[in-house]
Amino acid sequence: MRNILETDVLIIGTGGTGLRAALEAVKYNVQVACLGKEITGKAHTCMAEGGYNAVLRNVDPEDSIEAHRMDTITGGAFLNDQALVNILVKESPERILDLEMYGGVFDRTPDGRIMQRKFGKQSHPRTCYAGDYTGREILTTLVEAVRKEEDIELFDETFATSLVVEDNQVTGATFVDIKTGELNYFRAKATVMAAGGGLRAYRITTNAQADTGDGFVMAYKAGVNIISMEQIQFHPTGMAYPPSVRGTLVTEAVRGEGGRLFNAKGERFMKRYNPELMELAGRDQVARSIATEVQEGRGTEHGAVYLDVSHLSAHLIEERLPKMLEAHLEIGVDIRKEPMEVTPSAHYIMGGIEINNRAETNLKGLYAAGEVTGGIHGANRLGGNSLADTQVFGKIAGENAAKFVKEQSLLKVNHSFYEREETQIYSLLERNSGSSPAVLHDRLRDTMWDNVGIFRTEEGLKKALRELEAIKTELPRISLASSDTYYNTEWIRSMELINMVLMSEMITRSALARKESRGAHTRMDFPQIDNKNWLVVLNTWKRNGEMHIEKISLANIEIAPKT
Amino acid sequence: MTKKTIQLKVYRYNPQVDIEFKYQTYEVPYEPGMTGLDALLYIQDNLDGTLAFRWSCRQASCGSCAALVNGTPKLLCRTNIPEETEVLTITPLLHYTVIKDLVVDLTRGMKKMQKIRPYVLRSEKIERPEIMTKEEIALIKELRQCIECWACISACPTVSEAYYEFSGPLIMRQLARLEFDKRDVEDRIAMAFADGVYDCTTCGACKAVCPYEIDIPRKAIEKLRAGIVNRGLGPLEGQQIFIDFINKTGRAVTKLEDTPPFLEGLPDVMGPNTPVDEVIFFTGCLMDFRLQQTAESVVKILTELGVRIYLPKEQECCASPALRSGDVEVAERQVITNIKVLDSFETKKVITACAGCGVTLKLDYPELAKHLGINPPHFKTYDFIEYLLEEFGLDKLKEKMVTPVNKKITYHYPCHLSRGQGISEEPIDILKQIPGVEYVELNDAERCCGAGGGVRAGKRDLSMLMARRKGENIIKSGADAVCTSDCPFCTIQARDILNQLGSKIQTYYLPDLIAEAFPVK
Repeated sequence: MRNILETDVLIIGTGGTGLRAALEAVKYNVQVACLGKEITGKAHTCMAEGGYNAVLRNVDPEDSIEAHRMDTITGGAFLNDQALVNILVKESPERILDLEMYGGVFDRTPDGRIMQRKFGKQSHPRTCYAGDYTGREILTTLVEAVRKEEDIELFDETFATSLVVEDNQVTGATFVDIKTGELNYFRAKATVMAAGGGLRAYRITTNAQADTGDGFVMAYKAGVNIISMEQIQFHPTGMAYPPSVRGTLVTEAVRGEGGRLFNAKGERFMKRYNPELMELAGRDQVARSIATEVQEGRGTEHGAVYLDVSHLSAHLIEERLPKMLEAHLEIGVDIRKEPMEVTPSAHYIMGGIEINNRAETNLKGLYAAGEVTGGIHGANRLGGNSLADTQVFGKIAGENAAKFVKEQSLLKVNHSFYEREETQIYSLLERNSGSSPAVLHDRLRDTMWDNVGIFRTEEGLKKALRELEAIKTELPRISLASSDTYYNTEWIRSMELINMVLMSEMITRSALARKESRGAHTRMDFPQIDNKNWLVVLNTWKRNGEMHIEKISLANIEIAPKT
Repeated sequence: MTKKTIQLKVYRYNPQVDIEFKYQTYEVPYEPGMTGLDALLYIQDNLDGTLAFRWSCRQASCGSCAALVNGTPKLLCRTNIPEETEVLTITPLLHYTVIKDLVVDLTRGMKKMQKIRPYVLRSEKIERPEIMTKEEIALIKELRQCIECWACISACPTVSEAYYEFSGPLIMRQLARLEFDKRDVEDRIAMAFADGVYDCTTCGACKAVCPYEIDIPRKAIEKLRAGIVNRGLGPLEGQQIFIDFINKTGRAVTKLEDTPPFLEGLPDVMGPNTPVDEVIFFTGCLMDFRLQQTAESVVKILTELGVRIYLPKEQECCASPALRSGDVEVAERQVITNIKVLDSFETKKVITACAGCGVTLKLDYPELAKHLGINPPHFKTYDFIEYLLEEFGLDKLKEKMVTPVNKKITYHYPCHLSRGQGISEEPIDILKQIPGVEYVELNDAERCCGAGGGVRAGKRDLSMLMARRKGENIIKSGADAVCTSDCPFCTIQARDILNQLGSKIQTYYLPDLIAEAFPVK
């Protein structure tokens, strides 16, 4: 029997973006349903640490919307969609006040306003925070707010598999209930894609286990434009040792509060790369600098560098970096007294679904927001702009999706689509002779880290493509230990793996196409930025079943780089 | 050298096909720094793809991966496996049905959460920006650290007996988080009362397993009870009796007709003229009025060790019964009186043989003094056992304990001593040194006996359910005596339940046993 459900607005993803979209949509007196791979409140947003950028001027009255805009665009190496940047910087102050309205608790200035600190490449301190667990605070707040809304129905532990498209319009989605393994069909008048990132495809990553690129792939398969996928942010500071914690985020707030980077020889090496901004240079540059130090033999025994806050007062560390303190005490390092060992870690995908000012995509009825979208952050995202993005564009997506459904009726159920999906998904359960998803996942992670990492070359990227092809030929033969549908983790992981491989192909093909170095994308064979030829966006789209990468012109250029 | 491996004994159950659960043991290679989660991931990736468990962030931010590790609820990503580990047993959280293996259905808990309207409810138009001071957010910051891992529900002894009437620590914390948020207008006090805030024994098991060590008993339960008392809804009837006594006499219990109080008729100072040390003995009410013999043992031991003992007759109830039941006004008065009495001595060492008094003097007095704006206590409080070990050491005691006490003894950990003051293994160390004593382990020894937090006084039925579990474990231990030092509440509770269960097992205070072992004079 087919389980067919109906709603007005369907939201895929229950992180900061998805929940914010739901809270906005529900205000328009519509029914909202959210699909989340985890239990609500466990999404990756809870791992965001340092903060939320908003021009509140609580600490520095000199700050301005214009300054935030300039920082974001220059930080993004001019690859940003500047119209979206304008929205981000203008609306983020109101959105953090929304969070307070819902019940959020951010750290305070002496006069009782939201406290702000400086982050990388910021001209003014504008990062609002709750200790170093800002994302957790925001997600907790949104969860509380969502629990208030009876018209938001949460479908925990569900895995969206495909968008249903008819005549260039998204009419719903199919999803597997992870607990039972049932495939369901959700009819929706409007759908918001808020499925987040996908860097579990990399060996060393800050990402949560659910970040497997499902949103990019669902959209791509449906015919949505996916832009700038070559732009992968490597956070400069992930924990380095022991292996159990390798990659775990060490917040930029550590450097914002005054943390210093040293190589194994005790040199404060950032003075070689950016003597002006030092540790607070852009994430792209700091990550490259650390990688260079390690490559040139000045790293620690664990292939890392030191990040030190021991010169700061113990009280400051305890109050503003409690999570860092706890996480390091857990591995026997007291950061009040000794340095941390850090290494770059795959962190954020700047690329993603192309959206306009209303968070609309090129398909009718499909909206998108958050990490799954591209354009806002250009070629390098500033720390603190992502949490702001989730709230600003989550709200816009929810609002426009809700307005859209007022004029839209439910479209008919596409039974043949359901059947195809059913065959594909359940056929995975029938095989028992090929590689396990865990083995293939390991291969993928190594491939991406080794060849599509911080430093890229044509040779490496081509090698990655060959390896991705090889993994792809293995995918139809994936074998599972059990054909049981109930909470079959391996089965879900197989579907995620299929998504990650396709997303990795988008990343690799885009990286191969961009023959320059810009932002987070560094080509050793094209080490210079090339504004003359490459101030364009790469769009990944599906044509006749094939992946195509095309140059499209960069929209909304108001500020141009000085060439 | 072959690589070290550890064994993971994992709970396996798939209700769709299995009739009952079983344990499956896996051999996992050991890596330094490895966590319980790493071990399970190794199994899933390399040994058995059918194993189901939840996880997400690997960094104690999401709260997905809580399970019982060797019976203790905790986050798997925060379970460091020590190198010497041989077997690690992992089972699902308690009180929820199993979906598969370690994955449980949290609906039961979520329903209780939803019932309290767990969000900030506003009544007026909101000013933007809202001004909230550091002090205002300080009240809720700690309570807001909760990541909803549900570990505390598995640890809570009240939930084990009465989840139907007590919504549990996680939800009590959420109620407090909302009550102390000035923006919320909902009646959280009434909700807390309805949801069983007086069911909590303040045993601290929730705090002990919390990844963020949120002090739910002190920061949520007792503060909510204070709100209830302000509203005239509490304390409970049985608790009010003690408060009334305090109001009338300064002491929480009345004198027995046949046995005079310990302090009555004693000199103000006892012990040698050239002492090695001087202490003030804060007997507390129960030691003075009910456990006179034990109080005598304390004095006997101290005297034998050459300690001079001051016995202030003006001491009053420590305030614990008032504090635990929410009557802050009465508590504050007691604090003022006792600080005055205890700080009037030259010696600054106060000993007590009551875990309830100890925890109150140590933790509540400084806090309440600050709140009252009076001088904080200058004296330092020691539990009697703590004092003996710190001042004289185990070897000295061993030397003195010469008379055999022929008993097979087990030990129950009083909550307000073990979790409350961090004194847990020390009493056992002493027990083991008493000649003739055979120490046997008590199953679930750290579980609350049900007497604390005013539960015995206010909710006797519930209290006895917890006591019964304790009593049965004591009987099963095969011991012929149980030691419940240093807590008079545990002692009374154990005597009561063992009696009810028809057991002849004796309940002892450690000072009595030590005194018995001391040389006969």
